[in-house]
Amino acid sequence: MSTPDPGRSRVWLAVLSLLAVPWALEAATWSAPAPPAPRRHVVEIRGFEYRPAALRIAPGDTVVWVNRDVVPHTASATKGDWDSGSIPPEGSWRRVFTAEGPASYLCALHPTMKAELTVR
Amino acid sequence: MTPIARQTALALAVVLCSASPGAGQGGQGAAPSLSDAEIAHVAVTANAIDVEIGKLALEGASGEAARAFARTMITDHTAVNERAGALAKRLGVTPADNAVSRSLQEGAAQAKAQLAGARGAAFDRAYVEREVAYHQAVLEALDGVLIPGARNAELRALLREVRPAIAAHLEHARSLRGSLAAGR
Repeated sequence: MSTPDPGRSRVWLAVLSLLAVPWALEAATWSAPAPPAPRRHVVEIRGFEYRPAALRIAPGDTVVWVNRDVVPHTASATKGDWDSGSIPPEGSWRRVFTAEGPASYLCALHPTMKAELTVR
Repeated sequence: MTPIARQTALALAVVLCSASPGAGQGGQGAAPSLSDAEIAHVAVTANAIDVEIGKLALEGASGEAARAFARTMITDHTAVNERAGALAKRLGVTPADNAVSRSLQEGAAQAKAQLAGARGAAFDRAYVEREVAYHQAVLEALDGVLIPGARNAELRALLREVRPAIAAHLEHARSLRGSLAAGR
């Protein structure tokens, strides 16, 4: 009875492993959960407050600001990279956020109104 | 406190005491002595006065911060009065002139005369100081007389809706006063 050649076994193992890689990759692709669909978040402006005052969203999500006050307001990034301009009473404004990170904002007309947005 | 601010505070103190005898002493449950038509008139007058003073400030203010504040006051108080006018029309109420409104108008006339004599940075400081005192007094009038005195639910709801605007204006004016005092 002949003893299996250890060197030959290792070669076969390597060949089988290489053959399995594409299959494993394809299987992994099939089983990976699909990225969550972008969501839409509403921030209500009421009583001179942003509600909610702190909001956490995912990249690609949309935020809609709806003004329920008697007077105009804005949603203006503290860093100055985005600005709704004047949102009239019962008006709204939306923006899609793609860049990750914190994004604090305020009302340019009433700077005591402040809120936080985190894109993560 | 500048003469304008002192005068405004005094006028509104008179308003509070004349409208509700218990308000000045922190009394509870004092019977409001204004009708809804009179409360509506006081509210409309108070807003109109701040629009007028704001227009004066747009002409006389030298700094962009004071001018921006004045623009916001004109926009906001005009919007509130449009809402108040629409409500009065719907309710079939004709705002009725009264001693409180007249006192506010007299105070505004004096404030305008005093502001007319100020120039440059002194104008900005006087205007903002007056806005602090005025919004403080209006806030106290809302809490002590106007909201508790309004009998009609929609009028009371509108006054409650306006309260955060007055409180935010007051906070904004105080912050601006600090900036102007620091020379920023």
